[in-house]
Amino acid sequence: MAATTSSTSSSDPSPGPEPEPESKPNRSSRKRRTEPVDNPEEELVLGSAPADAEDGDDGDSEDSEDSVYSGLEDSGSDSDDSDPESGDEDRPEETCKDEGDVALDTEVQTEKNLEPQKDEYEQDSSDEEDIRNTVGNIPMEWYADFPHIGYDLDGKKILKPIRTKDELDQFLNKMEDPDFWKTVQDKQTGQDMVLTEQQVALVNRLQKGQFGDVNFNEHEPSVDFFTHEVMIHPVTNRPSDKRSFIPSLIEKEKVSKLVHAIKMGWIKPRRTQDDSRGRYYDLWASEEQGKTRDMRMHVPAPRAALPGHEESYNPPPEYLMTDEERAVWEQQDPIDRKLPFVPRKFSCLRHVPAFERFIHERFDRCLDLYLCPRQRKMRVNVNPEDLIPKLPRPRDLQPFPTTQAMVMTYPHVSPVGFWSLFWGDDGTARFWEVSSGRCLKKVEVGGAIKSAVWNPNHNLSLVALSVGSVVLLVSPPSTAADKQVVTATERLLSDEVEPAAGEGPVVWSNAEGEELHQGIRMKIQHPKPVTQVTWHSKGDYLAAVMPDHSSHLQVLIHQVSKRRSQNPFSKNKGLVQSVAFHPIRPYFLLATQRSVRIYNLLKQELSKKLQGNAKWISSLAVHPAGDNVICGSYDCRLSWFDLDLSTKPYKTLRHHRKAVRSVAFHRSYPLFASASDDGSVIVCHGTVFSDLLQNPLIVPVKVLKGHVITHDLGVLDVTFHPSQPWVFSSGADGTIRLFT
Amino acid sequence: MSQLQTRFFTEDKRYVVDDVPFSIPAGSEIQDLSNVINKLLEAKNASHKKVDFDFLVKGLFLRTTLILTGSYDKTARIWSVEGKAVLTVAGHTDVVKDVAWVKRENLTSLLLTASLDHTVILWEWNSEKNKVKARHCCRGHTGSVDTVATDPTGTKFCSGSWDKMLKIWSAVPTDEADEIEEPADRPRKKQKTQQLGLTRTPIMTLSGHNEAVSSALWIDSDEVCTASWDHTIRIWDVESGIMKTTLTGSKVFNSISYSPLCRRLASGSTDRHIRLWDPRTKDGALVLLNLTSHTGWVTAVKWAPSNEHQLVSGSLDNLVKLWDTRSCKAPLYDLAAHEDKVFCADWTEGGLMLSGGADNKLYSYKYSPCQTDAGA
Repeated sequence: MAATTSSTSSSDPSPGPEPEPESKPNRSSRKRRTEPVDNPEEELVLGSAPADAEDGDDGDSEDSEDSVYSGLEDSGSDSDDSDPESGDEDRPEETCKDEGDVALDTEVQTEKNLEPQKDEYEQDSSDEEDIRNTVGNIPMEWYADFPHIGYDLDGKKILKPIRTKDELDQFLNKMEDPDFWKTVQDKQTGQDMVLTEQQVALVNRLQKGQFGDVNFNEHEPSVDFFTHEVMIHPVTNRPSDKRSFIPSLIEKEKVSKLVHAIKMGWIKPRRTQDDSRGRYYDLWASEEQGKTRDMRMHVPAPRAALPGHEESYNPPPEYLMTDEERAVWEQQDPIDRKLPFVPRKFSCLRHVPAFERFIHERFDRCLDLYLCPRQRKMRVNVNPEDLIPKLPRPRDLQPFPTTQAMVMTYPHVSPVGFWSLFWGDDGTARFWEVSSGRCLKKVEVGGAIKSAVWNPNHNLSLVALSVGSVVLLVSPPSTAADKQVVTATERLLSDEVEPAAGEGPVVWSNAEGEELHQGIRMKIQHPKPVTQVTWHSKGDYLAAVMPDHSSHLQVLIHQVSKRRSQNPFSKNKGLVQSVAFHPIRPYFLLATQRSVRIYNLLKQELSKKLQGNAKWISSLAVHPAGDNVICGSYDCRLSWFDLDLSTKPYKTLRHHRKAVRSVAFHRSYPLFASASDDGSVIVCHGTVFSDLLQNPLIVPVKVLKGHVITHDLGVLDVTFHPSQPWVFSSGADGTIRLFT
Repeated sequence: MSQLQTRFFTEDKRYVVDDVPFSIPAGSEIQDLSNVINKLLEAKNASHKKVDFDFLVKGLFLRTTLILTGSYDKTARIWSVEGKAVLTVAGHTDVVKDVAWVKRENLTSLLLTASLDHTVILWEWNSEKNKVKARHCCRGHTGSVDTVATDPTGTKFCSGSWDKMLKIWSAVPTDEADEIEEPADRPRKKQKTQQLGLTRTPIMTLSGHNEAVSSALWIDSDEVCTASWDHTIRIWDVESGIMKTTLTGSKVFNSISYSPLCRRLASGSTDRHIRLWDPRTKDGALVLLNLTSHTGWVTAVKWAPSNEHQLVSGSLDNLVKLWDTRSCKAPLYDLAAHEDKVFCADWTEGGLMLSGGADNKLYSYKYSPCQTDAGA
């Protein structure tokens, strides 16, 4: 007896706290259902039936006791899983007696006292039968892939019934079988069964949302367990636990464990589902390029014009149309109208009627969007830093003069390699050795020297000095040059050439006596004071400048070998500031107050006129290669002209704060310097490329300071050493500074 | 001052002194030693007259150091260390730019003067008669001869000039003039050359510099090192006449000096720095050290002959500085004696420093670890 009960309870698909007798009716009903199908099992069931009959007694007594509650619960639980299955085709007559699993009919309850015994037996026997499948209360899908559906009590497989019914069979069944509509399949056993009338009724009730029990009165007055009235004594006076007001230690431990696990990396945050694994098919994956292109080429729609005052419901009176205007408006073609509507005035917004042109306006807007040509506005984002040209760093452009090496108290200097010639207002020209800064020869000329230039020809050793209106040709000390050079100079000067006397205003004469002993070789007497002399690079021609506003005789070109002078210009073009010979070609550069004129001496014509927008040009220097000219002016500018490029300055440098007095090019290094009244000399690097496509590179590299500004005059003159990157500057403070 | 144990020997019976060690001050000069001998002889023989003696130390003459200077007054002068002018060598028609001893023997010495008049003159100086004679006039340069240096054997010398050439000459005086094609129309000049000794032409002319050669020296008996205004230092092989190494700087070199003790070159530039070079580097352009303290062109540098760390430099800022290469940040001493530009600086064998400048003075300085004094 004990053994059977235990087996029953263990194999119960819905093991619960309910007493055994409660579940027994279920089993009985099942047994009955399956009986006709599973004949072989019947003996077994039958065999065990008497044993369970005794058991039924106990169960029955219990059953009666908790009928009220158990009935409720049982019906609820059973209706879920086994209600539809409980069909009893075999003995419909019994249905009133054995309610099956579902029905705890009130009849049964009422009648159970009458015939408990009989029912008990039946139920017991059926209960046994029901546990043919021992898999327990599991989802039967687990067996979906197997040929069997579970195991019987002997551990043998319960095979699935062979279901070969196709659609046609089913249809025929449906047509022919009157019970088809109430035939269901038992999932547990895989058998078809037909529901009983009661079961069908129960299903109907449940479908309607009613209680399964017909006799259950859901509106019974309830009796409160605790009264709803407020009593003076609490139902329970138990003091609240301590744990309800202190932090939970267990929780704390749990949290700390979690925290530790997170810290150690044992717990990872939940991973978000990654769609890239191809969970979804990316329809536009291949069109990525086109999409971005569309985005890039997106042109925003033109904005609609904002409403103005005339579109107000209460516009100011000046926006309202007068009668004439209105008449004109009406006569105009709608396209020509200035306004597409007539402004109207309303006293309040309530009076504004519906806008009858709404559709028109929308349509016009759509037409605008559709028809208006759209153009992508090319906006260029330029970093202002990028606009500054990349100049090399000055220290990469070495060598150039950086430090002051010598200071000599002489007003002017003119260096030529080993020697430098100092000259000034004191009437002496002094020849110095550059390397030691020592005076080796002094020539008395008897007047303030305005200008002194060494002959640029290496085969001649000669200096031209301008003293007042006389230009002197002086030979430097004989040791200054090679003997052959000295000889060549000697020969040039001592050649007996008959000077073209009486031809012009210029008188040539050879020096004699004391002057010859000093080294003065030749005198050229001019009609006016000479401010500047300059040599042609061949060393034969010499130009002298006699600035005069009113005369056309401002420049004279002398030829030393022929003792001949000529006045190249017959017209006065303005005050001549400075002149220069072109180093290579037969050009002559003449700086007047506002412009630089370049004359072709062979063709005797003006070849170019350089217009630097300078107010007053002070000085002029020609690049030794001949294609570039720099020009200093009293309005602080230094203009670089590229003769191949234009007659306008290629670059204008405004580094000086005061008037630029003098500019100079270095003969071999790519350097040029400018001297200014602000007391500084600025040395710039100026590379001229032989490639015509490349513009000259101009980099200011050094500001050389040292001269003291006296009487608002700073540096008056600047000259480069012919071979070294040294610059001599002569200042108004009466000193010459050599920067090396 | 330390004392030295000395014995005096002589082969002349008249002046024999006892063969016992005498303790004399280490700084004694010839004069002091003569005095000692005279005293000893007087003690033995009352009739002894004072005699000036010469001394040999281990077979070498102990001699007063003589200083040779060239000047912008177109002369060269020989000085004793005490500041006495021994001799004036006049003959150049222009400024003397550089001088050098070729050989100093007992009575006759050979010396060289280089001048702005494009010549180098080899003089023979008879110290007994105190007369100087121009043996050879070395002609060939076409510019101012700025530097002249004698080779260690005393048989050759080199000269560097403003005309960018380095020329090697023989320093051995002969009685034959080299052939030189003189322009026929210059009898006057020819007379002059004969006054100045026999004409000599260079053995070899080494061209390569693009600018004036400012300083030349012999590193070895067949290696010449030149510094130039074209920002290079070049080392030449005199035997084959080819250039071996070029060290390229960024500024003009005024002066170089080589120390056989530390095998370094020191150069003085126009940018105020003294630079030390290693001439053995093949690629050049490796500056070992920069000594910067001068504020003007460095016109002279010279290594100490007996100390591998010391060098002296002179500059246009009127200062002479004594450097120790172990302290490259600052000089050991600023010798501010000159009132004008310093043009040259040198050491004597005895460790005196010399410097000459544009104030027409030659200063000598004695350096000892604790004191410095300057004399005329």
